Amino acid sequence: MFKALQFAFNTELLEIKASLYKLLLVTLLPLGSFALLIVIFSKGVATDLPIVVVDHDKSKLSKRVLFNLDATSTLKIKYRVESTQEAIKLIKATKAYALVEVPSHFSRDIYLHKQPKVTAFLNTQYILIGKIITASLVESIATSAGEVAFVKNLASAQNTQKSKEMITPIALQITPFFNTYKNYFLFLVSALLPAVWQIFIVVATIVSFGTLFKEKKEQEFFAGGYMKTKIIGKLLPYTFAYMLLGIGFLMYIYGTRGWVFQGSFALMLFAMFLTVVAYQVVALLFFVTGFDYARSLSLGAVYTAPAFAFLGVTFPTSSMNSFALFWRDLLPIAHYMEIQISQANYGADVFLESERLWYIFAFSFLIIPVFMRFKKRLEQ
Amino acid sequence: MIRTFQRELKLIFSDIAIVLTIFGGVVLYSFLYPQPYAKESVSALAVSVVDLDRSEFSRDIIYKLNATPQVDVIRHDMSAKDAKEALTCGLIKAIVVIPAHLQRDLALHISPTIAIGADSSYFLIYGAVLEGAMKSVLTASAKLKVANLLKSGVPIAGAKLEYTPFSLNTINLFNANNSYTQYVVPAVFVLILQQTLLIGLGILGGGDNERRKKGLYTKEEQRDTWKIFLARFFIFGVIFFVHLLFYFGFSYEMFGITHLAEVEDLLFLGLVFLLAVIALGLLFGALLKGREIATPIILFSSLPLVFSVGFVWPLEAMPSFIHTLALFIPSTPAIEAFLKLNQMGASLESVMESVKILLIQAFVYTSLAYYVHKRVYKPRS
Repeated sequence: MFKALQFAFNTELLEIKASLYKLLLVTLLPLGSFALLIVIFSKGVATDLPIVVVDHDKSKLSKRVLFNLDATSTLKIKYRVESTQEAIKLIKATKAYALVEVPSHFSRDIYLHKQPKVTAFLNTQYILIGKIITASLVESIATSAGEVAFVKNLASAQNTQKSKEMITPIALQITPFFNTYKNYFLFLVSALLPAVWQIFIVVATIVSFGTLFKEKKEQEFFAGGYMKTKIIGKLLPYTFAYMLLGIGFLMYIYGTRGWVFQGSFALMLFAMFLTVVAYQVVALLFFVTGFDYARSLSLGAVYTAPAFAFLGVTFPTSSMNSFALFWRDLLPIAHYMEIQISQANYGADVFLESERLWYIFAFSFLIIPVFMRFKKRLEQ
Repeated sequence: MIRTFQRELKLIFSDIAIVLTIFGGVVLYSFLYPQPYAKESVSALAVSVVDLDRSEFSRDIIYKLNATPQVDVIRHDMSAKDAKEALTCGLIKAIVVIPAHLQRDLALHISPTIAIGADSSYFLIYGAVLEGAMKSVLTASAKLKVANLLKSGVPIAGAKLEYTPFSLNTINLFNANNSYTQYVVPAVFVLILQQTLLIGLGILGGGDNERRKKGLYTKEEQRDTWKIFLARFFIFGVIFFVHLLFYFGFSYEMFGITHLAEVEDLLFLGLVFLLAVIALGLLFGALLKGREIATPIILFSSLPLVFSVGFVWPLEAMPSFIHTLALFIPSTPAIEAFLKLNQMGASLESVMESVKILLIQAFVYTSLAYYVHKRVYKPRS
């Protein structure tokens, strides 16, 4: 039996060596995809987002407010126009993400206690960008308002300390637990890489078995019995390859970028192993539906391509409908991702993770129908 | 010509992998992709409050916190440590710590600090809790400011205005409710149409090349490159035009997505987009050695393509060569143009730049595909 395992393993290694495509599937293609996504998000924070301003007041005060906006790291006043209409055009052309409008008589109204309003029109079609911009607008305007209030109160209050108290009685301290870096790189890339990774596992598995059957080498390969062992032996080189790639992206995210990994690395490796195996088995299940190479790839595509949206990282699971949650449960990567997040961020103990690990492990049992189908097919 | 048409139709419809992708895939994806966001809006998130003050004022803050739609106070913990444990177990998503002697400190004019901690691993959750907590604490403290001003002799009407001399009023243009469906689906749908079309033409072209290798590619086929191209433009054009109508009509209606564009503008852009994609597909197929390489390549490209358009992560924050490279693929200018036209109500003139890029792509890719067919695969004499 061990010989059969060795035979299948070595045969596959030779295949990978001989076929450039298979070699690329476990090396440059996944690494290139990872690199591309890493490069896109490498800055991690958005700075100098272009905005347009319309200043109807053109007073010292309004200029001060706009200067403070421009001084934030996030915003950059790229256009100054005279009319709202002109500004909206720039937003529709996506040349600017927001319009900030200071009303006429702004500074007069402040001194008359009329509490004028600075109006911001946001392009909320781009939700994330909109959120980033809103946050720094609110902060900057509050600072400007504070400055003005401070000066005004100084006039009525006797000293600066009292004037300060009147403006801000309560300070807010905001602590982002875990991902303390407030950096979108960690939010998105740590989920995107596993999402790409699972696509490769499924594709490589189908390619490995697909070419065997397409080139009509299956009878030769399975000759001499030990069918189950040989199937496992054929899968193993890829299990190792994708484990290595998985360790690679984990090390990259939590090793080189300086994020702290709180949990157990051994546990992560185990979860990763179960996930690779789960996807290999599911990929085989697609393949045995008809032993058709191209068709099983189409099935694999439907299964793996939308997975990222279901991870619950960009959109919380608590707000998903029951169908989305059901589909999510069918994706090993969703369970893997929960382990990765909880291990990386709070180092939850093994006992807490066991349920998720069982979930991923359960997919391996699908190997039983796979074996049955293979047996039937080879007997024909 | 009619014979070429018949042969092409037979090639396409007898290939189960192609049919599965350009019919099954297109319909399935249109249903599956919007599912995570179908329920809309982020529902209330579980929060624990650690109230170390236990004063009337702290209870007021908690009451206001619970009243905000984003937050649901489900626990009261005795210490921040207990609350953090609950967070690790996933029972709650955020913690608000109200310090001891809050009310006393306020009376003494010492600025106390309220700590808010949220699980920022999930950025929407983080944003929602923060927004809710900030609002409630700010309103509570605004009340205090007014009270302080009253004490120092400012009349009530003045005091109310005084605590903030001017304010910010935000107006959401387009997608006013911050709907995730409106955000993701219009862009992803364009990509799905492109990717399924490319897979279809990729399998077809890869199949041609397999037959070439086996010597099954007929002389007639080699000679009739233009006729074959024309037939494929027509067949895939018609099928995907129907898909386009299905996506932008039926699916948009079903998921309640805004459609601001004039129908004829939308269809014009759609047609130009399909021309560019089919042209790229002809080239893509001509370059593939086998039928099975198309699906993986398209699959791998999807996520990088989505994120290099710039509707999720701003273009200003990514290296400019990424977007420039992505502009070679029809989906990039097309998504930009469709979003402007249909979601933001821009005029057709304002997306003309994208239309031009798409037309150039259609021309260049068709020419390249023709070159590959004629030159690279010389007929055996």
